[in-house]
This record gives sequence, C-alpha cells and structure tokens, in this order.
Amino acid sequence: MTVVTLLQTAAGGILTGGVYALVGIGLSLIFGVMRIVNFSHGEFMAVGMYTAFVLFRHLGLDPYGSLLVVIPAGTALGVAVERVLLAPIARAPEHTAILMTVGVGLILSNSLLFLFGAHPQTLLASYSTATVRLGPITLSFPLLVSFGLTVLVITALYLLLTRTDLGRAIRATAQNRDAAELQGVDTAWIRTAVFAIGTVLAMAAGVLLLPLLYVFPTVGSTFTLKAFVVTVLGGMGNVVGAIFGGLLLGLVESLGASFGATNYRDAIGLVAFLLVLLVRPAGLFGRSRV
Amino acid sequence: MSSGGLHPVLRIALLVGVLAFYPLLFGGTLNFGFSLVLFAALATSWDLVGGWAGQLSLGHAAFIGLGAYASTLLWTRLGLPVWWGVPVAMAAGAVLASAWGWITFRLRGAYFALSTIAVAEVLRIVANNWADLTGGPEGISIVSLPSPFGLDLFGRTVQFYLALGLLAVALLVSWRVGASRFGAWLEAIREDEDSSMALGVNPARMKVLAFVLSGVLTVAGGALYAVHLSFFEPQGVFDLHLSVQLVLMAIVGGMGTVFGPTLGAFVLLGFQEAFRSTFQQASLFIYGVIIVLMVRYAPDGLTGRLQTAWRRVRDGRRALDAVP
Amino acid sequence: MTTASRMSRTGLPLLALAALAALLSAPTARAAPAGKPLQIGVITSLSGSFATFGGMEVAGYKVAVAEVNARGGVLGRPVELLIEDDASNQNAALAAAEKLVAGGVPLVLGAFASSITKPLAGYLTREKVPLLNSNSADVAITRPGSPWVFRVGQTTDSFADACFDLIRSLQGLKTVAILVSNDALGKSTANSVKEKVKALGYALVAEQAYDRGLTDFRPTLNAFKAAGPEIVALSSYEEDASTILRQAKEVNLSPRMFISVGATGYAIPQFITGAGDAAEYVLSASPWRPEGKYAGAKELYERLKAQLGSEPSHHAAKAYAGMIAAADAIRRAGSTDREAVRKALEGTKLQTAFGPVSFESFAGYRNQNPAPSLVIQVQDRKFVVVWPRNAASGAVRFPTPPWDKR
Repeated sequence: MTVVTLLQTAAGGILTGGVYALVGIGLSLIFGVMRIVNFSHGEFMAVGMYTAFVLFRHLGLDPYGSLLVVIPAGTALGVAVERVLLAPIARAPEHTAILMTVGVGLILSNSLLFLFGAHPQTLLASYSTATVRLGPITLSFPLLVSFGLTVLVITALYLLLTRTDLGRAIRATAQNRDAAELQGVDTAWIRTAVFAIGTVLAMAAGVLLLPLLYVFPTVGSTFTLKAFVVTVLGGMGNVVGAIFGGLLLGLVESLGASFGATNYRDAIGLVAFLLVLLVRPAGLFGRSRV
Repeated sequence: MSSGGLHPVLRIALLVGVLAFYPLLFGGTLNFGFSLVLFAALATSWDLVGGWAGQLSLGHAAFIGLGAYASTLLWTRLGLPVWWGVPVAMAAGAVLASAWGWITFRLRGAYFALSTIAVAEVLRIVANNWADLTGGPEGISIVSLPSPFGLDLFGRTVQFYLALGLLAVALLVSWRVGASRFGAWLEAIREDEDSSMALGVNPARMKVLAFVLSGVLTVAGGALYAVHLSFFEPQGVFDLHLSVQLVLMAIVGGMGTVFGPTLGAFVLLGFQEAFRSTFQQASLFIYGVIIVLMVRYAPDGLTGRLQTAWRRVRDGRRALDAVP
Repeated sequence: MTTASRMSRTGLPLLALAALAALLSAPTARAAPAGKPLQIGVITSLSGSFATFGGMEVAGYKVAVAEVNARGGVLGRPVELLIEDDASNQNAALAAAEKLVAGGVPLVLGAFASSITKPLAGYLTREKVPLLNSNSADVAITRPGSPWVFRVGQTTDSFADACFDLIRSLQGLKTVAILVSNDALGKSTANSVKEKVKALGYALVAEQAYDRGLTDFRPTLNAFKAAGPEIVALSSYEEDASTILRQAKEVNLSPRMFISVGATGYAIPQFITGAGDAAEYVLSASPWRPEGKYAGAKELYERLKAQLGSEPSHHAAKAYAGMIAAADAIRRAGSTDREAVRKALEGTKLQTAFGPVSFESFAGYRNQNPAPSLVIQVQDRKFVVVWPRNAASGAVRFPTPPWDKR
C-alpha cells in the first residue's frame, strides 16, 4: 500500500471519526450529568436522519439546512421525553433508567418503521459524489463538510459549557448533584436541559451522516454501540475525551479495513472496548469530567 | 416470597402439572406452546442474574447461541448424541460465564450491561466468520437426530415436554436461590453493594455464581431451541433482540420473583401471537410501549401488582374482621 | 284428453322450461367458479424488517389468484389465499405453519427470507406438506433440499452463468475482483463466481467479504485499485449498493466492468435514485425484467403495479409464477391430497410471464427451477436488458469509461 493511499485512508478515518465523536459526546454528556446510559441514543440519531430525509424529499431543503430545523425539534423532543419519562424515575435504581431508555428506543425505531417502511433509503444531493483534492489526496466533499460542521457544533458546545451560566450549572451538577442543589442550582431543570442538548447532538449527527450513508429504521442500534465505544474510550462523562474517542474509532476502523482484517474488524473493536472497560473503566482519558 | 398459601414447591408442581396437559388440549398449536414454555424457562434463567443478582445482562443471547452451536456441532461433527452434547455445552456455558463474570465483576450497572452486549456481539461475529467451524452466515441445518428411548426429538410433543422439564428446573433453582442464604446475600448486594462487603459478602464471587447458574440453564435452553428450529444462523441466535426479549419478560412479570418471568413470557408471547394476526405492524412498537409503561408505573411487574392487590384484599378483609 | 294433447299442453312448456334452465345453468367460458373456496396457504413477512418484500410477494400471489379465478379456478373451485404473517421471525413462522397445516391446506407458499424458509422447510418436510418457495436466495434450500420443497427463483449459479456468458462474449477480459456481503447470498455468489473463474481460466486478483454495518468501503476499493482488476464482481447488502459505487467513483476505481452477480440491491430502482450518475454502466444479473422476452411480461408488470400501488420488483413476478405453478399442480393432481400435489409439482412444465417453471434435479439441486437469468445494465438512468441477446432490449455498453473521463 502506498503512502498516499495510507494518508487518504487515515484522513477519511479521521473525518468519519469526527462525526462519531459528535454522536458520542451527547451520550457522554447525558451520562456525566444524569448518570443515565441512554440506550436510545442511536434511535434519536435515526430520527434526525429521517427528519433531514423528509425535508429533502418533500421541501427540497438541503440536508445541512436541516440542522437548523433539528435544533428546535430536538430540544422539544428531548424535553418531552425527559420530563415525561425520565424525571419521574430520577431517584430509582440504575437499571430502571436503562430499561426505560431501551423501551424508548423500541418505540422510536418502530414508529420510524411504521412511518417509512423497512427499505433503506439514500439521499442523493448534487454534491453527494463530489470530491475535493488536497494535494495527492482525494477526499469526499460531503465528508469534509460534515466534519467542518461537526467542529462548529462541538466548539459551540464547548463555549456553552465553559462560558455560560447554564454551562457552569451543568458542570456543577455533573460533579456533585447535591452540592449543586445547595448552591441554588435547579438540578431537575438542568437534567432536562442536558437531555435536550444530548438529543439535539444525536439528531445533528444523524443529519450530518445522511449524505454519506443510507437510512433505515434500525440504523440506530449500530450507532448506539459506536457511541458507547466512543464514550467508554474517552471516559464516560468526559466530553473532550469523547472527541478523541471518536477520532480513534474512525481511524481504527479505516486502517483496520485497509489492512485486510475486515471480517473481524468489528470484533477487534469490541474486544478492545471490553479491554478498556476492564483495565481503565474511566476511559483512556481519565476520570469522569464534563 | 409472600407468606401463607401453598408452599412454593407445590406451586411449581401445580403450574408444571397444569402445563403438562397443554399438548392434550391444544395439540394443534404445539409450536406456540413450545415457545411459551421455552421462553418462560429462558426468562427465569435470566432473572437469576438480572433480578436476583441485580446485574442487567443485555447479552444473554450469547448463552443461547453457545448452547445451539455447541450441542449441534458436537452432534453433526463428532456424532456425539445430544444427551452428552447438551451437558458438554452446559459445561462450556459455565466456563464462559465464569470467565466473563470474573472479568466483568468489577463493572457495575451500565458498564456491565454494555459489556454483555459486546460479548454477545463478539460471539456473533466469530460464529459468522469462522465458517470452517460454524458454517458461517449460512448457518447450520439439523437434518437428523438420535432417538433416545425411541423418542422422536423432532416431534413437537417431545420438544414441549423437554422444555417443560427445563422450566421446572429453572423454577426450582429460582426458588432455591430465593429461599437460601445465597439469595439473601444477593439481595444485600443488590440493595447496596458497598455495605454488603462490610457484612463479609464477596460480591464478585456471588455475582459470578449467579451468572454461572443462569448461563448454564440458558445454554440448555439454547440447545433445545436449535432442535426446535432445525436450522439456525449466527444472526438468529446471538441476536440483541432476543436478549432484550428475555429482559422484557422478566420486567413485565416481575424481576426477582419465582413466577414473574414465566408470567411475563406468557403475557408477551400471547400478545405477540394475537397481534400477529390483528395488529401486525404494531407488535414491536407495543413492546416498547409496554416497557415504558411498566417501568414508569409498575416497576415490580405484574406479580408486584398482583401481590399488592392481593395484600390489599387480605388487609381489607382483616380490617373488616377487626371492626368490633 | 288424449296423451298427445296432454303432452303438447304440458310437454312443450316443460321442454321450454328445461331448455331455459339448461341455458341458464350452462357454465359459460368465463363464469366465476362456484363451490367451496380452495384455500392455499401463504407465509410471508407482512411486518418487521422484510415487510417491503413480503408486500411484493403478496401482490404477486394476488395477481396470480385473480388470473386463475378468472379462468375458472382450480377443480371448479375459486382459489382463496390464507395469508399468515411471519413477522420477519422464525418462531412466528413456525406457529403460522402449524396453523396452516392443521387447517388442511394442500400446500404452503413462502417465505421471503432464507433464514425463515429453512426452518419452515424442515418442519413442513416432517409434516409432509409441500412448500413452494419463490424468493429465498440461499442455495441450501434446494441443495440438497427435500422431496417436499420446491423453488421457483433462480440460484446464484444461474446468475453467474448469465453474467459470465456475457463476459465471454465480450472477449479479452481476464482478471476478476470479488466484493461480497458476508451473508449466505454473498458467500454463495462468491463461490459461484470462483467456480466460473476457475473453469474459464481467468485470474482472481482480489477478494473481500464484509460484515453488515460497514459504511466505509474506500480502503477495500483502494486495495482493489492497486490490484487492477478488469471485472469487479459484486453482491452486497441492498443498502450498500449505492454507497459502494459512490465511493468507487470517489477513489477512482475504474475497472472495465462493474457487475453484480448477486443481483440484490443493484437490480432495483432505488439503486439508480441512490447512486445517481455513479450507477451508469453498472451491470447486474436479474431474475426478471418487464422488458424481457417472455410473453406477457409487460402486461404482468402493469398488473403487479396496479395491485401493489407502486413499482414492483422481480420478487413480485417470482411470487406470481409460484402461485400459478401451485394452481397448475393441484389441477393436474386432481385433488388436494398433499402427496398427489407433491407428485404433480415434480412434473411441472409451464411457460409463464415470469419465464419457464419446472422443478428439476441437477448438480446436487433438487426441485429447483432451472430458469435462466437476465443481465441488465443501467443506461441513461434506466435499466436495459442486455443479455441474452434474444431477450435484450438494448446493446451492452462496454467498456465502462473511467470515472474521470465521464
């Protein structure tokens, strides 16, 4: 394999990894603050994909334009789910929340199945097969755009978390819920806000992935697993870690495939994931921290 | 367990006895009857680790697949008849559960659940790709089986009674765990793992033991499932959806109870078969709704509700008696 | 009154009445069949992940039943479908089969997915009820199969035959790379292609099987590019067809021919809408196209489209053929006895709008329909049948121009 191909593969892996990171960050944030592992995260991503798909098919809206729609829609959906289903079981044992999110995931994926059918659908925009040359390397144009927008979204999130009052309140709640309460933070509302943010991030990742992929009702489950791998690699609750986790996953997948081990590639990824869980359950990048 | 009423073993015997009449009364729906009883057994086995030990396994299909592949391959490749093949598979299941449990014993809650998904998925990928051993994605067809005591193992009635036997064993194990010191320790771990250590309990060892018990029974169920289908593939037996179904049945019926998972299995499968003909598209959706409603309003499952209702009736009657 | 006059008084009107009655009750050539409906069992996926294809099958079955009933039904009775949903899962399928068997149907048609058809085949063989399958792809269903299992749809060997006949006619091609999905159909396709490569003395320069869920094919496609194959043979999961071609364009993998030997996602309209200009020149084996040569193909397409309410796939046509064969077998058997129907199925020799239907034993197969396959190509955003020549609706466009020269 030539150096150029290697670079090309690695570059592609990093770009895809960026989008994986976006999926993982939402999950990580939700866990960091709410201590809930959202097993329906992938399904929210699928909802985002279908939203973009429908808007493209029926209104001709460019999928990247759908990002603007997804922000309010995701917020509404996230707030609704959190208020109605998750808040009442906030003090219940851990497994209750896990089961609840599994149930929510089933409802979402089957609603999508009912509405859109099981057939995989792709979206063909004018730029879907366009490429960009960076020196000797050819990269997919939509992949570049998605990566760019991912960077934008993550930057916005970072600023939210570090520069605003809401962000400070979120980080306080993540560190110690009771202490935050004592400081006057309304943690119940913070939890709602965080779940909403997580939902928006998942749906945004879906929108950004649609031009690169195809959508079908159960596409969510693959990505829930990827999101878990990303968050575990980066450390549950560690948002910055999730970024690196995503990039690492993207890179490993790409390079693994080009070295011919495609068949066991997923298995290798999962075994690595298990090893990380064992050896460093706090992730490669340290303790839980938002 | 609630006090009063029949001794649990008698209750188990009664349930098994009643079910034994199924083939005579409903001989035309034995495929359905088999799945009712088998899934009740599988859900009860799952509950040993899920309800009793409080560790949510979302990868129990790993044991089902292991049971299916191990017992079938031993027969088709080595000619080892199933009555040897199944115990060997169960031993393999015990080894898997021990190793897996020992490795993940430190993980709590969500981390453990994630690891179970990963293990089942790894086994699926291996089964899918190690074609020389497992036949790969094409799966394995069981064309012939030995006939112990002249019994036709492919016969639906024989399969039903085998499944019923497994259910009886699972129920008895579940009762025994609940009524024993082991069960009390598990409950302590479930309630508060850190404090239980202060009591001298070794949570890791206890959890692994529960896991092994659960795994071994599930493996036996997997072997029986393979014979029933007479064909299976990696996607079918290592399926996440299959694992989730077992969890659901236990939740709906009531985790941590002897009869809860069985009740849950009967209710869910009954609905599914009824819905298959009427609400075709909606059955999985309804599964999701059921979980959400159950978790939200009846976290103790149906048996929990039934027990509360029963208690209310009993207390109501006592209150009446107490009135002068 | 004399006898004669009595006769003329009562006889003539009686005669007239009798004649009228005879006229009224005489079966006309196209009368609706009377009598108790003849129920034929169907198991297919009306819900769950295979629901779209289940819908295609049902459309095909219904169109066939309408045709059969318009011609007087079977054994003088109208045919009625007893449709059971397998919910895309094996347990439900077995429960459904048990219900149909207990209901006394002469045979069962179905299912769609191979993973469901195989347990059904085992169960129905044991219950001695004929199973007539149209759309399951796994070779194992009829190889070795059983005396009770029959399949209408072509196998991957048939696809490979058609594809390589076309390749040989083009001459000068020697090197092949294979990219297949890691499932039964993909494996089966890879085997069929490799057998052909060996038999024809071609060279296999690269081979890759990938697991479902892979979204980035670029590394593999780059590796193929380095190996420089003239032919890239494909069989992928339906959802990947567009993605693979788009990424091939991106990495500039330009063989002289892309050919999907496994049919799958490359032979359906979604491929063209999903891959856009990347779909041009791509060849694919296809079980059936309305533009093909068989009499009534176009009309069948119209009827299927009307029944389904949307674009029908070849799955619907195969299901149609299956139901026609079932009706024909019962007619020849003269009864609904399962063994008689089974024997009659073995002797099937039909020419339908789908193509020829017969059930033969050859090359390890049993009760398999040896119907030939077509090869189609995407030309100007449409499917054109390019092989065999006497069925073709257009000429093949070869070689495929490199991506950067289009």
